[in-house]
Amino acid sequence: MHHAHIDKYANQSSHVHKIDARLKLLAVVLFTVLTVTVSINKLPSLAWYALFPFLLLVIGRIPIKFVLKQVILVSPVILVFGFSCVIFEREPVYVSFGPFSGEIALGWVRFLSIACKFTISAAALIALVSTTRFYDLLAAMQKLGVPKMLVLQLGFLYRYIFLLIDKAGRMMRARSARKLCTFGFLYELRLAGSMIGSMFVSSIDMAERAGIAMEARGFTGTVHTLNTLRLKAVDAVFGFLVIVYFSLLLVIF
Amino acid sequence: MHMMNELISVPVAAGTFAVSAGWIAVISRKLHKTLKNADYALMGVLGAFVFAAQMVNIQLPLMPGTSCHFVGAVMLAIIFGPHVGAIVLSSVVVVQCLIFQDGGILALGCNILNMAIIPGYTGYFLYRLIANDNPGRLRFYLAVIAACITGLMAGAAMVPLQAEISGVLSIPLSGFMLTMLGVHFLAGIVEGLMTAAVLAYLMEVRPAILMPQPENSRRAMSMRGVYISMALLTLIAGGLLSLAASDKPDGLEWSYAERPDNPDFEPVVKNDSKLIENVDRLHGEYAPMPDYTIRASSANETASGAWTSFAGVAGAFVTMLLVWLLAKLIRSDTKNIV
Repeated sequence: MHHAHIDKYANQSSHVHKIDARLKLLAVVLFTVLTVTVSINKLPSLAWYALFPFLLLVIGRIPIKFVLKQVILVSPVILVFGFSCVIFEREPVYVSFGPFSGEIALGWVRFLSIACKFTISAAALIALVSTTRFYDLLAAMQKLGVPKMLVLQLGFLYRYIFLLIDKAGRMMRARSARKLCTFGFLYELRLAGSMIGSMFVSSIDMAERAGIAMEARGFTGTVHTLNTLRLKAVDAVFGFLVIVYFSLLLVIF
Repeated sequence: MHMMNELISVPVAAGTFAVSAGWIAVISRKLHKTLKNADYALMGVLGAFVFAAQMVNIQLPLMPGTSCHFVGAVMLAIIFGPHVGAIVLSSVVVVQCLIFQDGGILALGCNILNMAIIPGYTGYFLYRLIANDNPGRLRFYLAVIAACITGLMAGAAMVPLQAEISGVLSIPLSGFMLTMLGVHFLAGIVEGLMTAAVLAYLMEVRPAILMPQPENSRRAMSMRGVYISMALLTLIAGGLLSLAASDKPDGLEWSYAERPDNPDFEPVVKNDSKLIENVDRLHGEYAPMPDYTIRASSANETASGAWTSFAGVAGAFVTMLLVWLLAKLIRSDTKNIV
């Protein structure tokens, strides 16, 4: 089955892909913090914040259309909150931007702020995930002090997730192919319950086989990641640029 | 219900992250001593199972067109104990954030707390309270449903609190809280029924999974552990509430009527004052225009400010356009590696 992989571009090669995963992770987290703390009355400066994910995405050769599609896909929740701001804050404020000036409700300003920040921080996260292999990201997390158990757990989860999603997809397709009407709630419930239950049973069996296979190959409860994390010239350049750029953002805006 | 980056402030993000990270670290160490090697594989696959189970949706009665799906936090806590459940669900939340862009990276701590830790432990606690070691059928299902409802609502109640402390949203807390609790009460009922249905199926097919086996007893928590973790969770919730009472980013004081022991109480004045506060602040920072009439001096000021911001935005976009064009030029003579 085809999966809408968000990290389908992670295996490409570009200067951004070559940057150390730890650096990228920290830079994106720090950038998100900076973006979220921009105050509402400095809204226009967000345009310069947008430069960071934009540069990463362009140099990393990630199609902008793909990024926008992803952002729009996860935006409904934000839209709900944004519009509720419009409903609850009707105080008129005077805003002016270039040749335009006038009064609009405060809620609209806040809505715009939330929407811009959301788009920028989501793009930054997409830039991170689509230029870094997931297992490199895990290795970076482990190096940055995430508990080993959680890292191992994430690795496993990532390995099995698409398998089981496929399985669930096949089940759903089978159900909709055979169930041509809506039954009573309790019957539907039993149906869903037995579907999930059988998925659960097969997951446990799968896990048992994986566990035996791991034992057979000498797994002792410790995780060994291929240490591909070494600081290179590209990291030095990236680190320097990020520091300069973030300081400029803080100073100028 | 995932929290977004934009709905929380940095202190709240850091605080919840610290709580979640500490909690995960403690139970990781605890589990590391007791887990067998095969259990690691089991936990990983269970995480993937949660994703798969979330695809199975069910039509809600009385509400045509709406469907809801299974979450599984409480079920895993009941079957494998709350520690394993918390680790599995945390990894699910992390993957949802990174791979599926669900919930912000800054709100990760919040989301782990609200969706992985609180529902699992609360649900487990209630389940243990209602169903003793060997419950009858009816009691078992009642315990499961009650655990799901309470667990989901406890997690959902944190979202408006965190948003409120962050001071980002303008939605009145009481309305937001009522909405969240109402929605999650219904979702909890459906989740409980679904969990009961799944457990009933397992009883028929694979009763061994549900039976507390001697070597599985290490997965369960002692009653003392249950009480200690509940006390901790209560402290966290209380701490959040008291934080809300003391630390408002925009300097707005919550009136003393807002008490941790009475979280539903909502002074009406608060919203107005917050609005006025915000408006005043904005007026001060944007374009101060008393009575909305243009005065010569401030008109000049606002005009210059407006053009500065306009130039800034335009500059940013021109820069991006140049970068894009450059990239296109450079790329045209290299082969695309896709």
